[in-house]
Amino acid sequence: MTKELVCIVCPRSCRMTITSEGDELVVTGNTCKRGKEFAINEMTDPRRTVCTTVRTSFPSVPVLPVRVSGAIPKNKIFDLMREVNRITVSKRIGREEVVVPNILDLGVDLIATSNILKDENNET
Amino acid sequence: MSISSINKRLKKEFGGRFNATLENGSVFVRGKSSDWGEIISACQAAAKKYSTTHVVNDIVYTGEQPAPTRIPSVKDDSLEGRSPDVLVIGGGISGASIARELTKWKLDVLLVDKEADLALHASGRNDGEVHPGIDLGKGSLKHKYIRRANRMYADICRELDVPFKQVGQYVLFRNSAFKPLVALYVFWRKYHDGIEDTRLISGEELMRREPKLTHDTKFAMYNPSAGCVCPYGLTIAYAENAVQNGAQVSLNTAVLSMDVSAHQIINVTTNRGVIHPKIVINAAGVFAEDIAAMADDRFFSIHPRRGTNSILDQKAGAYMHSVASIKDISVHGKTHSKGGGILHTVHDNLLVGPDAVETVEKENTETRAESIKTVFDKQTQTMPELSQRDIITYFTGVRAPTFEEDFILEAGRNTRNLIHVAGIQSPGLTTAPAVAVDMAELAVDMLGKSKTVEKNNNYNPIRKGVPVLREMDDETREKMIAENPDYGEIICRCEQISKGEILDALKSPICVPTVDGIKKRVRPGMGRCQGGFCSPLVTKIIAEFLGVPLSEVKKSSAESVITYGETKVNEGGEK
Amino acid sequence: MTTGNYDVLVVGGGPAGLAAAISAHDNGAKVLLLEREARLGGILKQCIHDGFGLHHFGEQLSGPEYAERFEDELYKRNIEYSTLTFVTKIDKNADGSFSVHTVGRSGVSVFTTKALVLATGCRERTAKQVFIHGTRPAGVFTAGTAQHFTNLLGLMPAKKCVILGSGDIGLIMARRLTLEGAKVLGVYEAKPTPSGLTRNLHQCLHDYDIPLHLSHTVTRVFGVDRLEAVEISKVDEKMVPIPGTQTRVECDTLILSVGLIPENELAESIGVQLDPRTKGPVCDGQCMTSTDGVFSCGNALHVNDLVDYVSQNAEQAGKSAAQYSKKARKLIEVTPGDGLLYVVPQRLNLNEDNSKTDLYFRVREEENNCVLHILADGKEILKKRYAFMRPPEMENLTIDFDGCELNENSRVELQLERLGKGDDVK
Repeated sequence: MTKELVCIVCPRSCRMTITSEGDELVVTGNTCKRGKEFAINEMTDPRRTVCTTVRTSFPSVPVLPVRVSGAIPKNKIFDLMREVNRITVSKRIGREEVVVPNILDLGVDLIATSNILKDENNET
Repeated sequence: MSISSINKRLKKEFGGRFNATLENGSVFVRGKSSDWGEIISACQAAAKKYSTTHVVNDIVYTGEQPAPTRIPSVKDDSLEGRSPDVLVIGGGISGASIARELTKWKLDVLLVDKEADLALHASGRNDGEVHPGIDLGKGSLKHKYIRRANRMYADICRELDVPFKQVGQYVLFRNSAFKPLVALYVFWRKYHDGIEDTRLISGEELMRREPKLTHDTKFAMYNPSAGCVCPYGLTIAYAENAVQNGAQVSLNTAVLSMDVSAHQIINVTTNRGVIHPKIVINAAGVFAEDIAAMADDRFFSIHPRRGTNSILDQKAGAYMHSVASIKDISVHGKTHSKGGGILHTVHDNLLVGPDAVETVEKENTETRAESIKTVFDKQTQTMPELSQRDIITYFTGVRAPTFEEDFILEAGRNTRNLIHVAGIQSPGLTTAPAVAVDMAELAVDMLGKSKTVEKNNNYNPIRKGVPVLREMDDETREKMIAENPDYGEIICRCEQISKGEILDALKSPICVPTVDGIKKRVRPGMGRCQGGFCSPLVTKIIAEFLGVPLSEVKKSSAESVITYGETKVNEGGEK
Repeated sequence: MTTGNYDVLVVGGGPAGLAAAISAHDNGAKVLLLEREARLGGILKQCIHDGFGLHHFGEQLSGPEYAERFEDELYKRNIEYSTLTFVTKIDKNADGSFSVHTVGRSGVSVFTTKALVLATGCRERTAKQVFIHGTRPAGVFTAGTAQHFTNLLGLMPAKKCVILGSGDIGLIMARRLTLEGAKVLGVYEAKPTPSGLTRNLHQCLHDYDIPLHLSHTVTRVFGVDRLEAVEISKVDEKMVPIPGTQTRVECDTLILSVGLIPENELAESIGVQLDPRTKGPVCDGQCMTSTDGVFSCGNALHVNDLVDYVSQNAEQAGKSAAQYSKKARKLIEVTPGDGLLYVVPQRLNLNEDNSKTDLYFRVREEENNCVLHILADGKEILKKRYAFMRPPEMENLTIDFDGCELNENSRVELQLERLGKGDDVK
């Protein structure tokens, strides 16, 4: 079986071909190791990172940008969104701080991607 | 023209499908057609230009029906039982200026408009030219008012703190053979019609003044008294000054019906209660005929005519600094004027347009690509460098002419406590200051029959607008910001509008706390990015000012929702 | 009124301005950075998606993370900066310096600087600039405005929406709004090829089954208060709508991702010459514009698709500005040949070090199997084979021009050679 796909690891967007030869998956068209890894994952266990926001209890910063610390299974994206939508951040946490550890038992953390809450606190 | 000769003409041109009758001094044209253009032609055939015998269009239109008149969704009793001396219907330039002039007397003045803001119809959707009257001959009301009003402009704009620039108007001719003819025209206008500033200049002189206009110009007609003003800015200023002097303005208020008894309007029903005015002024623009009908005084018809203008980037504004359009005279001596002109606006943009298209839809302000094309095809002849690429926005307005193409400024013919300010089209913006003075006097005379009308000794003609920080020098700006730091926080980058100016607009006498309301008053979003950067910020300032959630802030009407509440309330986009 | 003297004044605190300020500081200059918004970071503040920084940091960052890492560097160096500070006017002084007039909440300030870096970014093309007609309802947003509402204010701008333009922000917003519960009916693109990065087509559209309709555009909008529907038309190869192909799509929101325009009004006010192809300043290998002492970088110079290139280019601008002293320039042209949309820089100053010149260029249309030749006076300096090149994906090469024996009459040209299938490089 052969499948064509576009690598989304980096903006280079390599067009790759993946062929299963017996038990082995052969990737061509990739220009780096991560591309090959992505292609194989895409066939066996497709994953995506999710970036979104969470509500805060601070009126001047109504939402805080967050992301997951590692890719999650593609079919869990909307489960994750539902979970994220339930959260309200009430502490002035900073960039790279964990909002929810091991969210939905997916083995990844939900982390803040901005210092906006902290910075604002320093200014006032 | 007698009725029989009108009918002869209708029979000849339309095969007897339309007929005219003279009723109560007006020519009623009846029949049936699915072609709006034909209906207009038939009524035009029955009408005489500038005549006070008006054509009433009673032809049944069987084509696609226009959408029903938009009525605001709000329903309350905020005006229930109000009994003003004067009820002004319509918050356009006519209604607003009359309301202001009326406050010179001790009168209870109530102005209503069905829209969420003032000047949302023709008064806010025109080119803003203050005309010199070069195309007007004696015998019309347009002509009666044009020079007097033109001369009032500088003072009125100073009193109301509205920018006005007397930029001058050029009409360009490319064929020198017509120079004697045009010279005669100029002479006639100047000495017979009193358009005293008219003169001829050479093509060379024009090139010295406006080098980007077409070099094919052989000579030009010049009127230095032509100018430009922000038409909605002036309307709002008039209304604000009226409010400062005691008038009440009620927006989102539509007149739904009237009770008329013994030639008197007794009750006026609105969506906000029943009003009992002593007199009513019909300044309802494109709806003036509908209001006249409600008042049992329909002796004229309005035939909506739309026009589209384009606004060009301020960079193009540097191309020329006046009003200009080219005029080609055909061998028959007939002029072709469709396609408007080019005007350097009071805000230093270029405005190109408008065109003129008859329409059955009074409220349809959609724009169409062909309108822009018509105008640019013509105006690139006036100025070859003109390019559609410089367009930042375009808009359509609907004019409200009668078939006689003149204003109606008079007391009701059947209903006695009514004044019509109808058929107001170009140069209605120009004539407004003078018309308003006379109409206010007419109203006072009318009221004077039943009560003593006293002068309002507290009347203050001065209205202070929101300060324009970007036009101040550094020292003045520094002083202003020291007093109010919000003047130093720029919200709209294209037009350099500060948070302080936006808050001032929100605190102004007629607060319209919508994104469009603020845009009309202090201009955030009027620039080249068209609000892309500042509209979320403006939304936030309005919400904070009103103390409401951000999603409560609207673009204009109550239904013009900008955002649907907060994110995160949905359960995620399940597929 | 505040005043101050600087070696380098940077206008704009987005990714370009931040990188330029840091680089100017590291090259010994006394720097002031001015930002008109309340926070540094520019548009990256609202670009909460990831994909930034792979070149620069070797990892996938979100927009705020990328910007804040630069901000941290700025703070670490104690570089002076001022937010909520808007430049109203720039004067050129007789001694070659510049006076920059600003307003802020504390009043008016006039700063004097030897060199100026304009990192003013870009703005979005609007509905009227792509000649959409019809009514003027609420619910028509540029993608950036919709993104601001969604990601900074936490508000839903759409329930059921159509996106016009397959630019990256449009694709990103398609996914973003889908995640927040909106229904994205489709992305329409007037061009026959997509405008955004291929990876975004996959991870933003394909992953969520959002259809992409090429050679289609929105010609009209309906609805008086809020948008009710849009009219979609097919377009011909010249992107002109084909009469009779209109269909009506019911939706409450139209999001536009129809192009970005470099913001150069300040630059033009001090006489900087613009390149009609990039709509940014014509500059040399040091990022200096046609006006001596004025440097340009980032999206103000030309619209980039990757912020990493913005930083790279801004570092060059900052460094050059720090090293700037008025001296004669010996300029030669760098021109894009057939098939290329533009090249930046447009000139080389032979009186400067051009040993590591970054060239940025784009193709006009999608190209497969081609060779780029860089020629100096007809002599080949470099050739590079590309399996494919797409207009949305900017190419970048670093060239040593100092070894090319260029003189003031030289001309550098980029040429594209198209190879047939199986052809080899000549």
